[in-house]
Formats: sequence, structure tokens, C-alpha cells
Amino acid sequence: MIWKLMKKELKEFLKTGKIYVLLFSLLFFGISSPIIAKFTPEIIENLVKNQEMQGLIIQLPPPTWKDSFIQFFKNLNQIVFLIIVLLFIGCISEEKNKNTASIFIALGIDRKKWIFSKFLFQIIITYFFLLISFIACAYYTYFLFSTFPIQNSISAMFLYFIYIFFILSLIIFSSSLGNNFIQSAGIFLGIFIIFNLLSIFPNMNPYNPMSLSSLQNEWILKGVIWKDALKNIIFTLIYSFILLILGVVSFEKQEL
Amino acid sequence: MNIIETFNLCKYYKNKKALDNLNLEVPEGIIFGYLGPNGAGKTTTIRLLLNLAKPTNGYAIIMGENILKSKKYLSKIGFLPDVPNFYNYFTAKEYLAILAEILGVDKKRVDEVLELVDLKNEKKRIGTFSRGMKQRLGIAQTLLHDPKLLILDEPTSALDPQGRKEILDLIKSLKGSKTIFFSTHILSDVEKICDRVAIIKDGKLLLNEKVEELKKRYAKRMITIEVDNQDILWEKLKDKPWVINIAVHNKSLLLNIKDISMAQKEIPKIISENNLSLIHFEFLEPTIEDIFFEVIS
Repeated sequence: MIWKLMKKELKEFLKTGKIYVLLFSLLFFGISSPIIAKFTPEIIENLVKNQEMQGLIIQLPPPTWKDSFIQFFKNLNQIVFLIIVLLFIGCISEEKNKNTASIFIALGIDRKKWIFSKFLFQIIITYFFLLISFIACAYYTYFLFSTFPIQNSISAMFLYFIYIFFILSLIIFSSSLGNNFIQSAGIFLGIFIIFNLLSIFPNMNPYNPMSLSSLQNEWILKGVIWKDALKNIIFTLIYSFILLILGVVSFEKQEL
Repeated sequence: MNIIETFNLCKYYKNKKALDNLNLEVPEGIIFGYLGPNGAGKTTTIRLLLNLAKPTNGYAIIMGENILKSKKYLSKIGFLPDVPNFYNYFTAKEYLAILAEILGVDKKRVDEVLELVDLKNEKKRIGTFSRGMKQRLGIAQTLLHDPKLLILDEPTSALDPQGRKEILDLIKSLKGSKTIFFSTHILSDVEKICDRVAIIKDGKLLLNEKVEELKKRYAKRMITIEVDNQDILWEKLKDKPWVINIAVHNKSLLLNIKDISMAQKEIPKIISENNLSLIHFEFLEPTIEDIFFEVIS
């Protein structure tokens, strides 16, 4: 049943064109990040020359593969994150709002399966496109910088996968609680802000999923130290499962 | 045999009893009209029966299963909500094909049900459908898995007369092959197609009877009289204890009678004593509308 429901999600994603938004934005950032990293110093130098600011001395270190991946993860954590939230936040709440959920539930489809099919679909499609984006970034990084340290980049990407697992769980929770897109977005934003505010306390960092993004940069710049991330990964996964369970429990109790 | 039976079914919200000890029986194989004014508890009943809401108290047995203990019965029900909404970006065929796959129904069935509701050749997206077309698609969806019981929540309420006729004809054509539980506040629709009606008001069941029996029971309670001077007759009748109310309809008086035997004795006497000429006298068969208003008042 979950597989059939996931197929329904895929068809919906194709029909609404959301799949192309996700694919092309991820592909774009996968390709553009190494290019921007490579050519930004040259662009700035040319800009200085053209603007007749020869007196101005700008010294930029030569770009490396690290700049490429730092740029890539910056895009993933900002624009791609926003795209993912906007694409998925109404997945349950809008079905409640438009009364399409009640048709499935009234047909005897299990509420748990209905939610899990949405979550699994979102995980699979997002991970798959993220992987494509990562491969594109890796290829262009190698092409432009002639080097590509596999361990650093894959490990940092793994951290992003964990982070996205948390974000998608939070999306499911928010969407399950909210009765429409705006309500769900509000719940999501509220919880997201709380986690971000926790970053003020450095001793909370090992327990805060938001720290995963700074760890990505550290692993790219300094090298991978799994010990630093272990607590973070475990706690992020615990939060994710709690959010998923709460989302399901809340939906089970709701009147449609 | 009853396909639906509810036992003291209750649904309470903070300040409102939406459903109060409902004991309803719906026999198998009939078109059952579930009548009530807006806010009477019709949709609440349906939502409880379909696991879309939980009862505060009581339970229901549907097709032999207790709704609190099992959800299997839901796969044998086709449900049309009062405002059917679909995924607007699909065509009717695409939408039903997805549903067929989820329900494990042969895809040939999609064409069959679309043909039945006259949407087989419709290539437009559902978002562009008229209200009537959406309602017909909703009925196609309810029939897709060939359920034993159809639950239709106000299927004609927002349709124009042509759309209403189409939907009623469609429902009527299913008579015999399925049990149809049909909620509405449009009384003429019930009169046209239902075998049995239940009337609900403020969450309480007021009546559950066969349409024929109901009409017999309420028959000979309405009389229309035409005399040469209706003002005199109206004056003489208005305070009689066996008269419930009198309405003037064209040149006739329409009497709602409490005690028919008294009326049969007294009316001729009044006509004679006041030297009136009788032009027309008739016992009227009550409509469901007459019965409905009498019951809910």
C-alpha cells in the first residue's frame, strides 16, 4: 500500500511540475557552485580594472576545491532548503484543507501509511536529486580544480542528508498539525527559529541539528572528525523520529 | 437485514451536542434519505460512520463490523463528500486510474464508471470542471471499487436543476444493486428517489420510516376546501380545536387537521349553517415537505 501511495505522490509531483523545480534548482547549484568559486576572483579583478580603481589593491587567494564545496553547501543550506520547505510544507495540511485527505481515509487507507508514504517519497526524491547535484558539483570541481577529495565532500554531504532528514520530519510534523499551508509554515518556522536560537549556547551545539551545517564547512576546510559529529547525528535522528511519531499521532487523532 | 445500525451514537463538541444518542437503522438494498435542516447533524453522522471523526459515546455496526473495532468495512463503502474536491491538475481518467491502483481495482473499471457518469471522453483537467461534472466524477469515484454501500453527503445541494436531475437519475439507476445512504435538505429529492427516510434535528432522530407508510400515516390530514365566500369559512374554522392551521391558497383554504373525524362532521355543518356553497373539497396526500415541517416543528 505504501508503495502505491508513493506512486500517487510521484504522479502528483510530476503533474504539478514540482519535480522539475527541485531537479533543476539542485542541478543548477551543483553546476554553478564550482564555477562561481573558480571565477569569482577573476570577476572581481576584472571589475576593479574596468572601474579604473587601479589604486585599489585586492588580494584574493587562488580558489581551491574547498571554495567550490563551501559555495555548494551554502546554497544547499539557504536556497535549496527554502525550496524544499516550500515544495513540501503543504503535503498534509493542504490535503486536509481541500478535503482530498478524507477521500482516502474514508476508503479505509491507514492514516499511518498515508503519512509514511508522503515522508518516504519526500526522502527518496530529495536524496536522489541531492545525489545528482552532488555528483554534478564533484564533476565540475574536478574539472575546474583538477582535484576532488572524496572523503571530505562525501562526509559533509552525509551530514547534509541527516540534516534534511530532520527538516523533512519537521515538515511532516508541521503539516500534520496545521490545517493549511500558512499554519504549517508558521509551525515549521516557529520550531526552526527555536532550534536556531539554541545555537546561542555553544554547549548545546552537540544536541542541535542546526550545528550540522557548520560542521559541514569544518569538515570541508579542516578535515573529517566523526567524533565531533556523532552526538549531533544521533540527537538529530532522535528528534526526527520524535517529530515523525508526533506527526502521525496527531493526524490519527484529528477529525477530517 | 440492516446494513447500518447505530447504538446511542453521540458526538459532543465543547458547546454543542452535534449528535445525541442516535439509534438509526438502515436496511440493505434501499435508497435511504437522511433528512434534516442545516446543522442538524447529518454530516456529523456520516463523518462518524466513515472514521473521519470519533464518536464521544456509542458505536455503530456497518455490514456486521463495529466501527470502533475494525476499519475493514470502509473498503466496501463509496463516499461522496458534500463538497467533493479532487487533485485539480489531473484529468478524470488519470485521477481514477491512480485511485484504482491504490484500491487494487482493474483499470478497465475506470472507463466503465466514467462511461456511467458520462465523463468517458472528457479530456480536460478536473480543475476546469463545472460543479455538476465534479459531482458526477465524485459518483464515479464512489462506484470505482464496486462497493455495497454508497454514502452521499448532500450530492445535489449546490447544483442547478439540470445538474440535480442528472445526479438523481444516476442515483436512481443504482437502485437495487447498492444500498444508498443519501443525506440532503432538499425534500423534493427525497420524494423522488428514496424508499425510506429518517429525519434528524438538533442531533436527535425524529423519525425513521418507509416513505409509503409515512405518507399513509400523515394522509387525510390535509384538506382543501373551496366555497363561494372563503372569508366566512375561515372565520368559523380558525378557532376550532381540531384545526392545526389554515392557509389560503388561490381561492381555496388549505387546512391542516388534527382530528379528521371531527373535521368530517363539523365542516359540512358549518357550510350548511352559514349558507355557503361548496365548490371543491379534497383530502390531499401530504408531500415529504409537509411531513418534514410537521415533524420538525
